[in-house]
Amino acid sequence: MEEGNNKQLAELLAHPSVWRGRSRAAVETLSTGFAALDAGLPGGGWPRHGLVEILTPQPGVGEFYLLLPALAALSRVAPARWCAWISPPHEPYAPALEAHGVALDRMLVVKTHLPLWTHEQALRSGACEIALAWLPRASPRAIRRLQLAAEQGRTLGVLYRSQRFAHMASPAMLRVMLDPVTDAGRHGARVRLLKSRGGSREPIDLTWTAAAA
Amino acid sequence: MHPRSFRLKFPEPLPSGSAHDFPGSSATPSVLRVRPASPPPKGPPRGPGEQAALALQPRELWVAAHVPQLSLVASGSGTETAPRVIVDPEDHHQRIIDADARAQEAGVRPGMTLAAALAAAPHIEPRPRDPAREHELMLRLAGVAARFTPQVSIEPPDGLLLEIKPSIMLFGGLRQLCRSLRDACGADPVLARLGAAPRFTLAPTALAALAAARAGARCFITDPAVLPARLKPLPLAVLRWREEQNARLAAMGVRTLGELIRLPRAGFARRFGPAQLADLDRLLGRRADPRRRLAPRERYRGTRDLDHEIEDHERILHALAPLLQELEQFLRARQRGITALQCRFHHYRAAPTHCTLRLAAPEASAERFTRLLRERLATLALPGPVRRCELRGGALTQRALDSRHLWSPGEHGHTGSREMPALVEHLRARLGVNAVYGLRRVAEHRPENAWRVAEPVLPGAAKPAAAKPEAVNRDAIDAGLPAHLPFRRPPWLLQAPLALDAHRGRPRHGGALEMLAGPERIESGWWDGGDVQRDYYIARRADGARLWIYRECGGARRWFLHGIFG
Repeated sequence: MEEGNNKQLAELLAHPSVWRGRSRAAVETLSTGFAALDAGLPGGGWPRHGLVEILTPQPGVGEFYLLLPALAALSRVAPARWCAWISPPHEPYAPALEAHGVALDRMLVVKTHLPLWTHEQALRSGACEIALAWLPRASPRAIRRLQLAAEQGRTLGVLYRSQRFAHMASPAMLRVMLDPVTDAGRHGARVRLLKSRGGSREPIDLTWTAAAA
Repeated sequence: MHPRSFRLKFPEPLPSGSAHDFPGSSATPSVLRVRPASPPPKGPPRGPGEQAALALQPRELWVAAHVPQLSLVASGSGTETAPRVIVDPEDHHQRIIDADARAQEAGVRPGMTLAAALAAAPHIEPRPRDPAREHELMLRLAGVAARFTPQVSIEPPDGLLLEIKPSIMLFGGLRQLCRSLRDACGADPVLARLGAAPRFTLAPTALAALAAARAGARCFITDPAVLPARLKPLPLAVLRWREEQNARLAAMGVRTLGELIRLPRAGFARRFGPAQLADLDRLLGRRADPRRRLAPRERYRGTRDLDHEIEDHERILHALAPLLQELEQFLRARQRGITALQCRFHHYRAAPTHCTLRLAAPEASAERFTRLLRERLATLALPGPVRRCELRGGALTQRALDSRHLWSPGEHGHTGSREMPALVEHLRARLGVNAVYGLRRVAEHRPENAWRVAEPVLPGAAKPAAAKPEAVNRDAIDAGLPAHLPFRRPPWLLQAPLALDAHRGRPRHGGALEMLAGPERIESGWWDGGDVQRDYYIARRADGARLWIYRECGGARRWFLHGIFG
C-alpha cells in the first residue's frame, strides 16, 4: 500500500508542470549560445515558452548580446513566426542584426504607446517566436498576464526592465540580472539568476567577444 | 413562316395541370387561364426518355422578375396619412405613373394628368419619380439573383431577366432553383422593408417571360412548343410598344397577343416596321435575343441611417453589424477579399469621421472585420453622436481559401500563415499603420541609410532576400561590414545623432569617454545632397556602456553619438 502510494506520488511529481524547490523543471529549451549560461540555466537554455525578465542598470550594457545567439536561431526556425520588438528604446540596426545571422524578414518592430497591451497581444496570438518588450513600468499583475499569454501562445516573451525593480516580486518564469563587466580588452557581463526553476545561484561571467567568435 | 400556322399547330396545353405556376408563388389572380384539353395524365410517371427530351428541348430558360408599381415602392414605405401618387417630373402634362391603393380607391388611375387627379381626390400627395432609387432597387434585386446565375440583366425600368438553364443541375432541379430564387428575394431585408414583391415567371424566351410577368399571369413554361398558345390571351400593353402603335392595332381590332401573332407577317412588317416584327420573333423564340450581362459591382458600399444618434462605440459596432454581414455576403459571392475597408460616420453638425481599416491579407469574414473595428473604434475620437454609418470596401483581391490547421501555433508543422498577418492587422488597427513595420537592409555606406523601414514580410510572399543569399552577403561586405568583425556596427542606432559636449577636443557623455577603437572614416553621399564625412569611434562610457560616436571631418568638427552597443 505504502509502495503503491509512493509510486503514484513519483508519477505525479514527474509531471512537467510540477516543480519542486531545488529540482530542475523539465522545460523545452533553446541554447543561449553561451556554454557557461547554458550550464547554469534549468533545462540547459532559455525556455521556449514563457516569460523571461532581464534586469539591467541602464540600456547598453550587453542586454542585446545576451539574447543575440538565441534571436538568430529563433529567426531561422522552420515554421515562420515573427520576432517582435515592442517599443524598443532605439532603432534596431538592421546591418548589425544581419551580420549576427538574424533573418531580417522575420523581424517586426512595433512603436507603441501601449507596450503592455501590445506585448500581451503578441504573446497570446501565437504569431511570434519571440517577443521582446521594453516596459517603463509593469505591476506584478500585468506580468502575470504576460506570463500566461506567453504560455498560451507558445512564445518566448522577454521583458527588459530596470534593476530598480529587482526587489519586486515577479511572476516571470526566469529573472536574469545583468551587470556589465569591463576588464582590459574584454567586454562581457555578469549574469545572476534572481529567479529560476532550479537554475544556478552562482553569478555567471560571459564574454561577448568569445560569443561572437 | 406564316404566323397563322401557329394557331393550327399548337392547340395542346401544358403536360401537367400543376406545372403552370411559378413554384413558391403566392396565390395571385391569374389572368392567363389554360384549360387542358385532355385531363392531366395519371398513374406512373412518364418514361425517362420523354422526361429528358422535355428537359433538353429549350435552348434557354428565362426567369423574369417584374416589380409591380416600382416607382411607388422606391418612393419609400407608405406610413403617411395621405394617399400617394407618383408623377413624372419630365412630363409637362404631369401624368400619374403610379398610385397607391388608397389613391386608386379615390378614383385616381395611372395615366391621368395630375390636374385631373387632384380634381378627383384633392387630398392625394404627389411625389416626383426617382429613377436613381428605382435603379438602385433593381440592382439590389439583381444582386440577389446573381447568386443563381451569372446571366442577369435589367430590363429598365422594372424588369429583371435571368437565364437559368445552366444552373438547374447545380441547384437541384428547376423547381428547387425557382423556389430558392423566390425565397432569396423574399428574404432580402431592404426589399422586404420597402414592400417590393417581384412577380416571377419562367419561359423559353426572355420577352415571353417578361410579358407574362408584366401581365401578372402565372407562367411556368419549359416547352417552347406551347409558348404561343400560352401567350395568346395577354393584352398588347405588356409588349410596351409605343402608345400610338397600340392604338393603331386596337383600331384594327387587335387587342391580345394571340390576335397579333395571327396577323400576316409581310403586311405587319409593312405597316409597323421591321423592328416590331423582330420583337415579335424574339417573343416567340424565332430570333435570337442576346442580353448584355449585368457586370457585378466591383466595390462594396453600404449605408445605414440610425434610428437614434449614438455615441457609444459598442453600439456603433452593433449598428454596423448588418452592413458587415452584407459585406461578407458580397465578398463570398465573388470569392474575393478586401485589404482596405473605410467607415464613415456622419454627424449632425460636423464633418464625417473617416476611419480606414487596412488588412495585411485579403479578408472576407465579418467576424474579423468586427474584431478589428472594435480595436480601431476604441482609439477613434468622434466629434459628436453618429447619425449615419457608411461602409466602403476597397478593391477586390483574390483570396486564398484555407482550411483549419491541424497544428497549434509553435508546434512543428504549423505554418503561421493565419496568425502572422492577423497579428499585424490587429496591432495596426489599434496603433496605426506606421507603428508596425519590418526591417530591410540597404547596400549603403552611410549608417543611417544602410537600413530602412519595410512592409512586414508575410509568409507565402516572395522573399527577395532569401532568394539571393549571395547577393546579400556581398552587399554586407560592400558596405564595409567584414564578416569577422560583427562588432563594428552597433545593434542600436539612434533615430537622430545626438550632439555631444566636448572638453578639450574629447567628447563627453555622462563623464569622459574612453576610445576603444577607431577611427573608421565614412565619406559618402556627395552626389545626392546627403554628404557625409565622419570619423567613427567606439567609445566606453564610465558606467561600462559602449557607444558608437563620430566626429565631423569638416566644419565645426563636433562630436555626435550615433549608436549604442547593447
